[in-house]
Amino acid sequence: MRSLLLAGVLLGSGITPALLVAQQESLTLPAARPKQYVAYDSEGQAIEAGKTSTLELRFQVVQGYHVNSHTPKSELLIPTNLTIEPASGVKAAAAEYPAGTTYSLRFDPSEKLDVYTGAFVVKVPVVAALGDHTLKGVLHYQACDNAACYPPKSLPVQIAVTAK
Amino acid sequence: MMVVGVALLLWAGWHNLRERKLAMQKERDSHVVLIPDKGAAPADSEADELAPKMRGKKAPTFVLTDLQGKKVSLADYKGRPVLVNFWATWCGPCKVEMPWFEQLRNQYASQGFEILGLTDDADAGKDVIGKVAQKSGVTYPILLTDGKVQDAYGGLDVLPMSFYIDRNGVIVEQTAGLGSKDMIEANIKKIVESGNATAQAGGL
Repeated sequence: MRSLLLAGVLLGSGITPALLVAQQESLTLPAARPKQYVAYDSEGQAIEAGKTSTLELRFQVVQGYHVNSHTPKSELLIPTNLTIEPASGVKAAAAEYPAGTTYSLRFDPSEKLDVYTGAFVVKVPVVAALGDHTLKGVLHYQACDNAACYPPKSLPVQIAVTAK
Repeated sequence: MMVVGVALLLWAGWHNLRERKLAMQKERDSHVVLIPDKGAAPADSEADELAPKMRGKKAPTFVLTDLQGKKVSLADYKGRPVLVNFWATWCGPCKVEMPWFEQLRNQYASQGFEILGLTDDADAGKDVIGKVAQKSGVTYPILLTDGKVQDAYGGLDVLPMSFYIDRNGVIVEQTAGLGSKDMIEANIKKIVESGNATAQAGGL
């Protein structure tokens, strides 16, 4: 019994450092990088037919990343931009973007960026005919984190619109 | 009777402790199995994107044009340690390290060291690219990518991306993202010193 216990403790203590090593190794690896750095929360929207209504498209920038706002402070930077495909029965006006927040790289505090982090909402004014419609579009954005940037991406979006 | 009772209690406690230890050990065992399994999938997909997959390989050759329209080939720098740095005008971290590159290039120039800055967003145009490079104080060659060189170097999922090529034309280090100036210098030292002995021996 005693030897069993001892074996148990030994095994236990033998396993623990191995586990710690495994965890430490995984910590030294770079964090997982998703292919998309912005997620789109697609929710259907009910509006009044024939009247100007505003669709709200909800986006979420993955934690640890930022994307340029629609109006970055330098013409070199790639703005976040939503394009909506023409669709029959729905007339969409130009998208309205939220203001960004000021952000600076730790290594370069003098350079002020205008970015979206976390959740942001792009509004699209529409007039829709009676019935169910699907609007399709693409959000163009370019993401960075504190130490690296990722090539520009296109995120497809789809909005189910019910006009009553 | 009392003694037996106490002994029984003690044994029960001991037994209980042992069971608990065994249960804990069993749990740890299952964790040990679980962690590598769980870790394996994301580690593999991470490896696809971020592993220095070009390390140890012969640097893919390229011929690109510089901002003056002159053709520049990697082969022009045969036998010299070269840092190939991919950057873009829209990449903030890239522009942070470019002045460091310029400084280190001057520091190690006497040992044959050169930096080639390969602009990922060649479509920004020579004028804009030139201005950005100038603002960063860069005087090393800035080359326009052709869309093929990025793929030859393993595809660029991250910028900045740097390849440290030794005197034998081998990529000895590949880094993604902004590192510290010390880290960059340490990598430059690796390629400057790596082939030195051979080069000197060859010279003698």
